[in-house]
Amino acid sequence: MAEIPIGRMLRSATTGFTFGCSVPEPAVPIFGTFVKAPAQRGATHIIGLIYDIVIEDDPFVRQMIATPDLPEEYILDQRENRQVPLEVSVLAVGYKNGDGVNYALPPQPPITLDSVELCSEEEIVTFTRSLDFLRLILAARDLPADELVASALQQAAAMRPVDERPRYLKEAGRYIARQLSFDLPRLDNLLRRISM
Amino acid sequence: MALELNKLTYQVDDLCETLLNRSEELAASVPVAREELRIIAQHPTDLDKKIQKALNFRWAGAIPTDEQLDAIFPAPALPERADIIAADGSQVYPDRHGLALYYLINIGSIVFKHGLGKAPECFSQPAVYHETKDLYDGENLVAAALINARRDITELAELAVRATQLEKDDSAPTLTLLDNGLLLYFSLQATDRAQLDEILRLYLAELDNLRRSGAVIAGIVDRPQAASVVRLLRLATMELDEINEDTLRVTSPFERIIDRRLFEELPPEHRTAVFANASPQNTDFYKPRGHKIHFFYLNAGGNSGTILRVEIPEWVANDPEKLDLVHAGIVEQSRVTGGFPYVLMRAHELAIVSNAERNDLDQMVMQAMIQRGMSPEQSLKAQGKAWTGGSKRRYR
Repeated sequence: MAEIPIGRMLRSATTGFTFGCSVPEPAVPIFGTFVKAPAQRGATHIIGLIYDIVIEDDPFVRQMIATPDLPEEYILDQRENRQVPLEVSVLAVGYKNGDGVNYALPPQPPITLDSVELCSEEEIVTFTRSLDFLRLILAARDLPADELVASALQQAAAMRPVDERPRYLKEAGRYIARQLSFDLPRLDNLLRRISM
Repeated sequence: MALELNKLTYQVDDLCETLLNRSEELAASVPVAREELRIIAQHPTDLDKKIQKALNFRWAGAIPTDEQLDAIFPAPALPERADIIAADGSQVYPDRHGLALYYLINIGSIVFKHGLGKAPECFSQPAVYHETKDLYDGENLVAAALINARRDITELAELAVRATQLEKDDSAPTLTLLDNGLLLYFSLQATDRAQLDEILRLYLAELDNLRRSGAVIAGIVDRPQAASVVRLLRLATMELDEINEDTLRVTSPFERIIDRRLFEELPPEHRTAVFANASPQNTDFYKPRGHKIHFFYLNAGGNSGTILRVEIPEWVANDPEKLDLVHAGIVEQSRVTGGFPYVLMRAHELAIVSNAERNDLDQMVMQAMIQRGMSPEQSLKAQGKAWTGGSKRRYR
């Protein structure tokens, strides 16, 4: 499957990165999407999950909001020709290199203007084969981690054969139970979300 | 902080006091001027004769057209399909303290197709001028006014090219807009007649091209300071035999009133009557080429009631369909922004050269010079400005 670039890197850290892209289409990018970005001159590919999408305003757009029956040409000009300040934040959940998949923070973050791409279905299935990718999400602070876990697991399950899905989610539930054994209210809430 | 604002407190107070006083004076005199406009519109006694006599003294007022002096007109409907093109330019002046001597003109333009439901097309065309003929005016470095005039010609040329290249899939009319008056400001500044002739030859040739393309052109001045119609009012109050070069210089009883104040009560989206500009430049250069500049004032709508001065050549002013297109097009485009055509704001955005971009360009120039074995360097003065240009720091 051809790789689909969806934006370019604005800023990054080993724990995650923020990229800019044009106006969000119905499908990409969306919350919980698996994306990848190169690091170490392409020797490593960081795998991440989109956890926040912010569309900043600007004075020009603010002025236009009050216009009744705004013709389509103005809307398209703002969306397609002007630089819509749209920022997408990603949590790093692992990386790929010559040795295979690693469920740890990457050795280096990506660099400004690096291309960010959607992960293919095959990459997502391979990456989520081990549930260790959940560890970095569950440990993340200041972001909707539980929503992200639920979204990632739903995606990963949906990309597997129908008869494998219940078993996959059950294993994920067990994994999360081990990680959150000290926080039963959170565990209960998360298990409910996965089973929905 | 280099500017010690605390030392300006009283002066800023004085400034506001002056503004307030001036505003109160105008509040008293503007209604008198409006009444005078109404009177001469009803009884234009000897007005034509007075204008003819004043023109002998290079009087630069407003000449009435067939439309009644105090008439106002609501906005006509814009055709369902219309193409509106705008161009604007920005420049980087030559810097004798910089790495290399050059100047840059960047033209932004936008082709907006009303009624098609498609995104407009946007263009940006930069050009660097570095040859001796570009940079020197005789022995002197080219003046900013001349660069501005070249930029104005390039803006007009861009409109002519876009209007000519426009792929027409229907009979939609085309309106082109400039963020400037059409009477070239350079013609008021130039001291070298040959240079002025050359600039105007090029400018008027582009107006010819625009006319040939079938497009309509309008130049828009926001916050206009002109007092052309007020000069007409003053002329109307004079007796025919007292008109001479000296009396025409007197501005009483309408001192400091400008046309914008005179027409600030225009209802939203309405325009004034069209006037011809009696400026000597118009008569000497534009009129012989069939481009005599006319103008009207327009309340472009919005909460602020922005009054724009709209300048059009005579072949637009004398054609009701073209005049309506200008009026309707500007009103429609200003609806979105609250009082100024959207396409002109976008053309400006496409043309503007930010400080960061200018620094990037300097870096490109430096790289290219180094590749050719040169040693680029700024003057010490420029270097000093770079060192001290940021916020001032104080040792504590």
